[in-house]
Amino acid sequence: MELCHAVLNSPFPGPELDHWSLANGARCVMAEMPDAPLTCLDFWCRAGSVSEQDGEEGMAHFLEHMLFKGSRHLPPGAFDLAIEALGGSSNAATGFDDVHFHVLVPPERTRDALNHLLELVLQPTLDPEGFSMERDVVLEEIAQYADQPSEQVLQQLLTRGCGSHPYGRPILGQRASLKAMTPAAMDGFHRRRYLGSNCCIAVAGQSMNGLGEMLAESQLADLPSGDISTKVVQPVQVQSGRHLLSLDRLESARLLMLWSAPAASDQAAVMGIDLATTLLGEGRRSRLVKRLREELQLVESVTMDLTALENGSLITLEVICAPEALPAVEVEVNQILARTTEHAASVAELKRARQLVSNGLRYALESTGQVAAMSAGQSLWNRQQELLRPLDHLDAWDSERICSELCPALQPEQACVLIAQPGETC
Amino acid sequence: MWEQNLLIEPLSTPGVMAAKLLLPFGSVQDPPDQRGAHELLASLLSRGCGPLDHEAVADLVEGSGAGLRCDAQEDGLMLSLRCTVECSDLLMPLLAWMVLEPHLHPDQVALERSLTLQALQRQCEDPFHMASVGWRTLVYGTGAYGHDPMGVAEDLTRLDRDRLLPLAGRLPLGQPVLAVAGTLPAEITEHLAETKGFAQWPEPTIRTESTQPEYCLSSGSESIHLQPMDTEQVVMMLGQATISHGHSDDLALRLLQCHLGVGMSSLLFRRLREEHGVAYEVAASYPALAGPAPFMILASTGMERADQSLRLLLQCWDELRQKQLSQAELDLACAKFIGQVAHSRQTCSQRAERRVQLRAMGLADDHDQRSMNAVRNLTPEALCQAADRWLNQPKLSLCGPSESLGELQRLWNAQSAPSSSPGSTTVSS
Repeated sequence: MELCHAVLNSPFPGPELDHWSLANGARCVMAEMPDAPLTCLDFWCRAGSVSEQDGEEGMAHFLEHMLFKGSRHLPPGAFDLAIEALGGSSNAATGFDDVHFHVLVPPERTRDALNHLLELVLQPTLDPEGFSMERDVVLEEIAQYADQPSEQVLQQLLTRGCGSHPYGRPILGQRASLKAMTPAAMDGFHRRRYLGSNCCIAVAGQSMNGLGEMLAESQLADLPSGDISTKVVQPVQVQSGRHLLSLDRLESARLLMLWSAPAASDQAAVMGIDLATTLLGEGRRSRLVKRLREELQLVESVTMDLTALENGSLITLEVICAPEALPAVEVEVNQILARTTEHAASVAELKRARQLVSNGLRYALESTGQVAAMSAGQSLWNRQQELLRPLDHLDAWDSERICSELCPALQPEQACVLIAQPGETC
Repeated sequence: MWEQNLLIEPLSTPGVMAAKLLLPFGSVQDPPDQRGAHELLASLLSRGCGPLDHEAVADLVEGSGAGLRCDAQEDGLMLSLRCTVECSDLLMPLLAWMVLEPHLHPDQVALERSLTLQALQRQCEDPFHMASVGWRTLVYGTGAYGHDPMGVAEDLTRLDRDRLLPLAGRLPLGQPVLAVAGTLPAEITEHLAETKGFAQWPEPTIRTESTQPEYCLSSGSESIHLQPMDTEQVVMMLGQATISHGHSDDLALRLLQCHLGVGMSSLLFRRLREEHGVAYEVAASYPALAGPAPFMILASTGMERADQSLRLLLQCWDELRQKQLSQAELDLACAKFIGQVAHSRQTCSQRAERRVQLRAMGLADDHDQRSMNAVRNLTPEALCQAADRWLNQPKLSLCGPSESLGELQRLWNAQSAPSSSPGSTTVSS
């Protein structure tokens, strides 16, 4: 408890954020970081893979690629050249809920970069020749993922656990759906999703005079407002069960578990789960690592992650071990999880978890890239707040409450369990 | 002793700091039949040291919400601490204890060795890793850069406490460099040498120049390595051993790396992705090392278009020597190089690591600033000449479906430069 107040009341509260909205609903946020050597611009849009309709599987990600292939005033390659000639860099990423495009540039070139970024993202040409070429690149990306057994196992877990929910589909899509796509259909997706009220731009770095006026007159302000509730996605509910999988290119066995958790909008619950997963799976003194790796020496690694998502969050546990250790590992994991409902965390365990969660957030405030991404991601989903504010919720989670409210849901019976072993693929 | 080797950089941060302690004992110092010894030793330093056993160290570090690790890189052992300023006085002594008083308890040695062996086994799933292992062996042979710092399974199985003790005993005797950066408490900047642990640090007795290894002992005429794997794509890595960081041609090669592989305007990205759509992953790698660093380009492509990808990869490589960059291309490479310096200075960890790296290599503290000024004086002709000197005998490593590898080998034999001695091959089972 003291810790959280100490973090928030310390002389290092994190960058000050300035939030505002344009008339069409587009959100803007400035995070002032006076000493940053680079400024980050991060454009976010509610156009992740959950936005895809039947036949559009993979389109959100393919569109992310296509937006770099030229716009009304920037021929193919011109954006990359312009940014990189400034000593900057750019990249993009597509998730289940949203997609974002970020640019890092020297502070004095922020204005140029912002104009280029908005032009790139909002005025794509989707040229048919470039479309065909870039589809080949995405197909190569799919092949590359297919060659990584770890990725395949994780996707199998999501597919089996999430069923028909969009979170169960690969973000990259399938070869067949990609081959059937057309520039016209992609243009329709862009028009449907890239609306003012679905977008957010964050700027993190040295202060910039006139940013508000500039954005008010930018292409972002020209977007139609639109209706953001064009598609209702039901919260994901993980389907419990136990599945076996053999993959011939696996060199180690995996035990994976997947659980549902409250949506990112329920920030109090998300912070509690963050504490619970840290207690269980982060660091040598966490319960799973301590028992499975340090004491019994049964496993190579334990990873437990919370992915906060807008339509229900997901918790994953991955244990990697030798195939012959799998039966013992599964028994032990089940016992450790069962014990969490009976034995609440000690004072030291809870303090450790709070420190790790709190400092994890604090370390993330060092670079403009992470600050811009966090600011924009929060703002996009109507959670405008100071970046350390989520730590306020930690106070409410004592050991007893974690034990009684969260741990009963983190049991094997509630999980989708996948056992993956080396062997002939089936 | 610390007056010369302590680098302090106060920075405005959200109350966090980083410390990096670099010792001149990396994987290049692994004894010939103990490949992986320094990485194993590194992983053990935080498993009990000074007055704390392995559980007490973990309790202290994790209980402070800090990060502490030690890794063997090729040229040195890097101890890394990240913490909040409030916890620094509790945690900084760990860095000294890890070097001066590691416990190396046999149980912990057995555990870390087992974890490393399992990780090595799992890495065999990754075609990029397997292509990289093959390329490294092809280029550096049994030399000091010939193995990944993580080591080789057959050697690791022989390592135990008795074999690690002599290596651990040398750690305090090499010249250390310590950099701290971020929001710093006064006691670190003014009294580090008197703080717990550091006060007992002995004067170095092992001179760095006396520990210079034989980096490259290539086995001879082989110019291609084939690693069959039942994958969809073929991973291709093409390159050669070149020069050390700070060499007079280093900046020229660094600009060529920017030209080839930095950003979406780079030659590889444009040629393979934008113009032909044959690859998703392309890259050019040229790490900063004390010895002959690898200069390598890579791509991965589905087997039906792998021959086209290899042709394009070879074309990009050969162009460096055959055709001078235009002034616009050179200007772009310079901008990227300068931008990369800024990109690598965003966190206190990055800054501290760069400072110890430069100092350990005997380069000036302002090396990067000098380099940013000096690149503007390089000409297209100078880059072409540097390529001719250092990029004239590339070797190729391939990992992918065996039916593709044969075809690609024939292409390599037919198209590779005469000086690269085509025809000789190594194949892994």
